[in-house]
Amino acid sequence: MISKSVNIFYKFMFILSFLRVIKASVQDVGRNIWLSIATITILVLALFSINLLLVVKIISSETIQAVKEKIDVSLYLKSDSAETEIVNLQSKINALSQVKQVNYISKAEALETFRIEHKNDPEILEALIELGKNPLSPSLIVKPKDTNKYDELIESLVKVEDDIIESKNFDDHKAMITKINLIAEKASQAGLFISALFVIIMLLVVYNSIRVAIYTHKREIGIMKLVGASNWFIRAPYLVSSLVYTFIGVLITIALFYPFLGLLQPYLASFFSDYGFNLISFYNSNFFMIFGLEFLAAAFINVLASLIAVGKYSKV
Amino acid sequence: MIKLHNVSKLYEPDTRALHEVNLHIKPGEFVSIVGQSGTGKTTLVKLLIGEEKVDGGKIVVGGWDITNIAQPEIPILRRQIGVVFQDFKLLNRKTLAENVAFALQVCGQPIKKIDSVVPQVMKIVGLEDKMHRYPQQISGGEQQRVVIARALVHRPRILLADEPTGNLDSINADEIIELLQKINKFGTTVVLVTHNRDIVNKLRRRVITVEDGMLVNDQQVGKYFL
Repeated sequence: MISKSVNIFYKFMFILSFLRVIKASVQDVGRNIWLSIATITILVLALFSINLLLVVKIISSETIQAVKEKIDVSLYLKSDSAETEIVNLQSKINALSQVKQVNYISKAEALETFRIEHKNDPEILEALIELGKNPLSPSLIVKPKDTNKYDELIESLVKVEDDIIESKNFDDHKAMITKINLIAEKASQAGLFISALFVIIMLLVVYNSIRVAIYTHKREIGIMKLVGASNWFIRAPYLVSSLVYTFIGVLITIALFYPFLGLLQPYLASFFSDYGFNLISFYNSNFFMIFGLEFLAAAFINVLASLIAVGKYSKV
Repeated sequence: MIKLHNVSKLYEPDTRALHEVNLHIKPGEFVSIVGQSGTGKTTLVKLLIGEEKVDGGKIVVGGWDITNIAQPEIPILRRQIGVVFQDFKLLNRKTLAENVAFALQVCGQPIKKIDSVVPQVMKIVGLEDKMHRYPQQISGGEQQRVVIARALVHRPRILLADEPTGNLDSINADEIIELLQKINKFGTTVVLVTHNRDIVNKLRRRVITVEDGMLVNDQQVGKYFL
């Protein structure tokens, strides 16, 4: 019975001490306001650059996906090709291991698509009427099974010989993908470098802020030690301060990053018009994962910096 | 209450602060440790509150061997020993009551206990009317009394006073010594470290003289003889 009461008393004392630690931490952030502002600014810059890096990653992967979906090879056929010949050629190509799908576009379908694509271009439409006949050729649209094996598909298609084939259009989509990959990679590398730089700066700034905070409280810490305060009670406020910095930093980053996404979204919307890709929706649906992880990572770095600073400078 | 057995302390590179000191202070005693500056008196205080570690020998405080005291145990030791320094060590942004309450707050004491203990100790030191003033609004003697009040909040069995009158005039110094005597009458062991000849001679209590890090004299009803 007595030991239970003692346990409750110690738990109560711990909670009370913890609340006092929180109070001391918030006071500390407020009393060193300029130092706090500088620390939080660096934190926000680091988090902002990390989010920019994430945006670059998302956009590049969406772009690559979009380009991959557009990759196909067109085989233009002679206008007078017989239906059976076309079907034979279609099954011949379909049998190739690199082919996912072969679509036949008839002359009429090609004309219809052409008209839709140029509906705002009256000169072209008039020229079509003046011609008096359908000038377009039927075609076979070949979709690759694997975009990474695009070269092999081209190689196989080159070997396909048939009298009805008028011409082959092998646009160099692979070069385009490689180029996008390269740009994305370079952007990621630059982003990673900037983020790493900010993370290192963040570590140093938080370390310095805690060091200065300890220095300004040197007298108070000395007295605390003298009257029997535990090391935990002396050190915890500085660790909690670093968590307060992180929390405020993440909140400010969120407050700044959403308007930034709002500015970016119209450009992305026009670029990804056929895909319904929305960066804000992406951030909304992954909000807790993105900012939660960023908070945890930043908190880890800051608490680490604080632990080093507190361990080194709180020995009064 | 306090036992030192062959205690030695060296400061790098070759300063001998204490050399094979043997000392036994019984519970309830009022002991003055005297000696000129730099003889090792403050080192002795630092060893007793765990601020420094011995290089040789053994220290026992209240039956507790603190010779190799672990870092987490030091706060527990300090809650059992009240310490008063020459330079007061008060926080200027806190009122006198807050300064005293601070000692309880940092040890996780509940508000109810703080509210009852602080006025009690402020009354003992005669400052119950000035509890809400700030340190800079009172005299040096009064500041030292606040420090004594703060040292008393944990009801220590030992009170170490390291040159408590060093910054005070003779009237204030006498008042502080009277207060220490009053605390001693309540049963607290008082160790007064000083080089004030008049005070030691007036007290007529046990006097231990330190010279060059060694105890050179120990008189039960002693005088300052250096």
